Amino acid sequence: MAAEREVLDELQRLRARVPLLSGALAASADGLVLAQDTAGVEAESLAALTAAALGVAVRLTDATARGSFRELLVRGEKGYVATYAAGSSAVLTLLAEDRINVGRLHLEGRRAGTRIGALVDAALERAATPQPRPEHTRTAMPARPAAPPPQAPGPATGTPPGVLPRRPV
Amino acid sequence: MANTETSLKEAMSIIEGATGVALVDYTSGMALGTLGGGKDFNLEVAAAGNTDVVRAKLRTMEHLGLKEEIEDILITLSGQYHLIRLLKSRGGNGLFLYLVLDAGRANLAMARHQLRRIETELEV
Repeated sequence: MAAEREVLDELQRLRARVPLLSGALAASADGLVLAQDTAGVEAESLAALTAAALGVAVRLTDATARGSFRELLVRGEKGYVATYAAGSSAVLTLLAEDRINVGRLHLEGRRAGTRIGALVDAALERAATPQPRPEHTRTAMPARPAAPPPQAPGPATGTPPGVLPRRPV
Repeated sequence: MANTETSLKEAMSIIEGATGVALVDYTSGMALGTLGGGKDFNLEVAAAGNTDVVRAKLRTMEHLGLKEEIEDILITLSGQYHLIRLLKSRGGNGLFLYLVLDAGRANLAMARHQLRRIETELEV
């Protein structure tokens, strides 16, 4: 998607700014990697596990009437895994060392989540409208048909290729 | 002995010129309690940022081989004083009180004295 580069920039800025942050990943709510900067950890499986944890977290906030999902913090003996909502259909997952300043992690994670959410949502918006595309897009996506493709039976959301399947978060 | 809430209230009410106060856990950077501050002074941000200040000072002392304890840290801005006071009481390990003062109204010596008293009476 067109926002990929900008999302990656955001992740790299975040890692440069926050000490003791060892990885950052932006993923769709259903577990596809959007952009990653996670040295030493496999991004695909992290994205998939994030989606699984997110599923439980969303149900948990729902069942306890806590509104929509905002963030998830897991602490292991050697560090933290934090997931923040990023717009309507993406999440930001951060890996941090045990000594990190969690207050700062939250502040920076929430802000970055909001910015990444805006980027992803804007890209989805652009992809959803079958308008002539901006002339400067530099994606390797297949040429788009003039009209939206006829709805095929199968996956509930007939999203065009290269577009995040939406899922209520 | 006073709990967190009463200590923060006391700091805000008796210390002349106080505009915000927080009790912060510097192992995590999160505030256990805040009072004052407001829209243009986010005490959560201050808690996280000043955690880095305290950690940096502790690390520096370790590198210098100083086997002493920090009693307090004073930061003087053009219009404000920021006072960081580390807790020494039981169960207060890893915590500090953070006090924001309006430099025009505050008496620094008195504020520091009062904050010390509040700190010794605070039980977390």
